[in-house]
Amino acid sequence: MSDALTIEAVDLRKRYDAVDALAGLDLQVPRGSIYGFLGRNGAGKTTTIKILLGMAKPTSGTARVLGADVAASAAAVDVRRRIGFVSEDKELYDYMTVDEIVRFTASFYPRWRPDLADRYRQRFGLRPDAKVKTLSRGTRSQLALLLALCRGAELLVLDEPTSGLDPAATEEVLQALVAHAAADGATVFFSSHQIAEVDQIADRVAIVDRGRTVVAGALDDLRAQYRRVQFVFDAAAPAAAFRAAGVARIARQGRVMTVLCTAGAESVVAEARALGPVSVDVMPVTLKDIFLDTVNVEEA
Amino acid sequence: MLWYKSWLETRWRFLIGLALLLMMACSSVASYPRVAQLLPDAAPLLRNIDATSVVGRQILRAVDAESTYRGFVWWQWIQDNLSKTSTVLAILLGTGGLLAQTRGGAAIFTLSLPVSRDALLETRAATGLGELLVLAVVPSLLPPLLSPLIGQYYSTIDALVHALCVFVGGAVFFSLATLLSTVFSDVWRPALLACLVAGALFIVEPVVLGGAPYGIVGAMTAESYFRTGAVPWPGLFVSAAASVAMLYAAVMNVNQLEV
Repeated sequence: MSDALTIEAVDLRKRYDAVDALAGLDLQVPRGSIYGFLGRNGAGKTTTIKILLGMAKPTSGTARVLGADVAASAAAVDVRRRIGFVSEDKELYDYMTVDEIVRFTASFYPRWRPDLADRYRQRFGLRPDAKVKTLSRGTRSQLALLLALCRGAELLVLDEPTSGLDPAATEEVLQALVAHAAADGATVFFSSHQIAEVDQIADRVAIVDRGRTVVAGALDDLRAQYRRVQFVFDAAAPAAAFRAAGVARIARQGRVMTVLCTAGAESVVAEARALGPVSVDVMPVTLKDIFLDTVNVEEA
Repeated sequence: MLWYKSWLETRWRFLIGLALLLMMACSSVASYPRVAQLLPDAAPLLRNIDATSVVGRQILRAVDAESTYRGFVWWQWIQDNLSKTSTVLAILLGTGGLLAQTRGGAAIFTLSLPVSRDALLETRAATGLGELLVLAVVPSLLPPLLSPLIGQYYSTIDALVHALCVFVGGAVFFSLATLLSTVFSDVWRPALLACLVAGALFIVEPVVLGGAPYGIVGAMTAESYFRTGAVPWPGLFVSAAASVAMLYAAVMNVNQLEV
């Protein structure tokens, strides 16, 4: 594993009874990046995160986090000391107070940041004597985030960190993440099915579907490479195949044919000229377009 | 701090159990003068009891034991109140843990901490056994302390020996509940199953082994120590071995859990 990578997963597979939760997932998360891990519900995001934290063992394949193979229990314990984590459901110990759970969590992390804990406690309006069970879902999410951010971690792993939050709280969480990554240089790996928030803060992204990575790369590169080419014909769109590399998806509807290209849109346009379209438009695509199209391709 | 977490999770079961046992110990001692008064009146009735039946034998054993204050404390407090209540409390202390937390989701938070699953279970078991030891020992010190108030004497050594026997026997049921808690994800099935096993043992073992010192219940009630001064080492050894084996199996189970 290169020193430049914080997370590296190769051909990761996980089978629960007859269900393949992961079916050969590959992942490379560079150090210092804010990495969005996109996928529909049930795509394998949470299973991947559990394996990366050493909570679940892969059926096959390897996962290395911060240089250690997390399939080994002892290594996973050491790695978890260097990771801040927020789970999807944000469940904490209901019977503890905010102050108790902060002190409890701090005791496991030698690089715990009490100054940061105080700052976030004030920023999120968390009363030290409030019982966790009395906190609203939003406040509980903020407490979970505080417990992750203050560990002095090199890597933050966040499973749907904004699920269940209102827009204001979501924005606050995202801003806190970006500020933390910028200040401490930590790698942030977060899963989401909210494309807008990944678009807002991530610099790299992977889209996972049915347990496999279908797209991965720097967000700017993806935006630069992906193009949607739309051809309009004067009759029904022909059922043409393209020889050009980089054709990810072809859709036809009436007189319109739409081609999603991962690269080389010019070659596709040149090839399609022979079909006699009455108009050709090459359009940039958003992350949402890429997500929906790649996931649809997998379904087709 | 794992100790602290385990303590917070079990403290109410422990504190309520401790209060209950303290009340039972006080009540046992306080009731002796009345029992001592009634026993001579009961003597003629004993002649009509069928000594060949199980129930008849139990009644005669009770009356025989309670003919002295030491026997009364053993029968009433140790083999009845302390042994049986400690068994139920041991089971309650042993239930719960990582698998039960998967329902509320806090298990994921626990597993994200830099702690091995072995350490999680071992700390919880150590905390529970510590609480069980306190439950066995502290209320047992009340008879030696309170007996002078009713003009009687009860040996502190006897109290401690019996308390330790109750602890070792109770540890079996604690370990059983802990093991079952790594199999079932709720707290009720482990508790009910362990109570069924304990109930069966408390009924069957005295009938089959007749209070012999090599059974788990025999070791817990320590009748051999009460009657002859012989500590029931075989039963204590069997109990300790059973506890260790079940806790080891629980550690194995918890390491295989897919949370």
